[in-house]
Amino acid sequence: MQNQPPPIPSKPDQFVFEPMPERSSVVFVIEALLKYPGRVIHELQNNWRAALAFWLFILGLFGMTVYGVVVGSLTGGDQMWIAPAKIAIGTTLSILICLPSLYVFSCLGGIDTRLRTVSGVLFAAVALASLLLIGFAPVAWIFSQSTDSVAFMAALHLGLWGIGMMFGLRLIDAMGRLLSGSSRTHLKLWGFIFVAVCLQMMTTLRPIVGRSDHFLPSEKEFFLAHWFETITARETKRIGVPN
Amino acid sequence: MFDDFKASLRGDAEEIASRLRTPSIRLFAGYCGVILLGSAVYGSTLGIWRAPLQSLYTAIKFPLLIFFTCAGNAAVNGMLAQLLGSGLTFKQTSLAILMSFAIAAIILAGFSPITFFIWYNAPPLGSTNEILGHSTMLLSHVAVIAFAGVMANQRLFGLLGKISGQKAIARTVLFSWLAGNLFLGAQLAWNLRPFIGSPALSVQFLRDDPLRGNFYEAVWRALQHLFL
Repeated sequence: MQNQPPPIPSKPDQFVFEPMPERSSVVFVIEALLKYPGRVIHELQNNWRAALAFWLFILGLFGMTVYGVVVGSLTGGDQMWIAPAKIAIGTTLSILICLPSLYVFSCLGGIDTRLRTVSGVLFAAVALASLLLIGFAPVAWIFSQSTDSVAFMAALHLGLWGIGMMFGLRLIDAMGRLLSGSSRTHLKLWGFIFVAVCLQMMTTLRPIVGRSDHFLPSEKEFFLAHWFETITARETKRIGVPN
Repeated sequence: MFDDFKASLRGDAEEIASRLRTPSIRLFAGYCGVILLGSAVYGSTLGIWRAPLQSLYTAIKFPLLIFFTCAGNAAVNGMLAQLLGSGLTFKQTSLAILMSFAIAAIILAGFSPITFFIWYNAPPLGSTNEILGHSTMLLSHVAVIAFAGVMANQRLFGLLGKISGQKAIARTVLFSWLAGNLFLGAQLAWNLRPFIGSPALSVQFLRDDPLRGNFYEAVWRALQHLFL
């Protein structure tokens, strides 16, 4: 009995539904997003403050804008401000387009909450994704300085964005669990819709990685068609098939 | 009132049933208001691909389709509810059906920014990929309307189960209402066409002679062309 090691203290569950510390600053909010996202959801549901939702939104936009600078660094020149501008605008538009359906899907999932809570959680999800992108920024920058390939860098940025989004959507899913939703299928379905809207937004605002003479494209295209064209054009160029 | 809609969306059958026990003009007006607003907003995204004017026409006609279907079947739905042992009165039947359409309208309104975004990115009328644009709009709207319909009927089924106390009765009543509403609704949609608008035809509020012909005859003729 005397030689038994002391019990390992149990690690608090990341998604424990408890209040944030009294004195909350932006640093505390970032820490909570990364370590204890449940606290953020608790504050948005039970102790809602416009300032918290505002800072989460600003944090999300800031992170996306910073990453946008890295995206633009591949081609340089005007893309150094065009890429971050497009990513910030696209993020804002995607949030606005999908927020009404998120609230509806939350209700369909049995969650009794208010629109402002759902808005705050969506801002928090985007903020979390953008924090991860800031973390990935050095990695993306190194690759962008060592290649000229737009297709490769677009695929890399897409992959890193996907990882960030995965953690962001995990927060949305946690909202369903913590706010006693009877079914989380609806929120998962909404997650697919949000990803599809974001992917289409990237195509609507193209080019973000490459360069163009126009700020916005003149031709409307769906993202799958655009990717297929890009890959086909790349293959045609690679194997030297004449147009 | 807002809490009523949230309870309806959540499928809180207990709360909705308690409201239905004392049907009020306020509840009736609330459901009608939500149907009008939600379906008009969504209707505008239905017609916008064809032309802005079609968007306006469909925003007017989509709520009318719902109201005409409810009104046309109000008597028979009330009778069926009583004959099949649901325990609902005529007023409660009308309110329950309006509630389900209100749920669908809220879901459709929630999807409106997304369908508007799809329209924004779809190849427009007159472009080389106009068929792709038309098909994408058509399939997107079918998927969204189907989803809204399934969710609304799921909530209605829950309510009927709560009120009648038996799932078998709830199922029978729901299917009988659905059969009647789909039968009349399809024909009314035919009479009130176009909603999306065909690229080959001009933009009109209603087609020439809208009461001529019927949906089921058109389907039968299409099947004959397909197989014969």
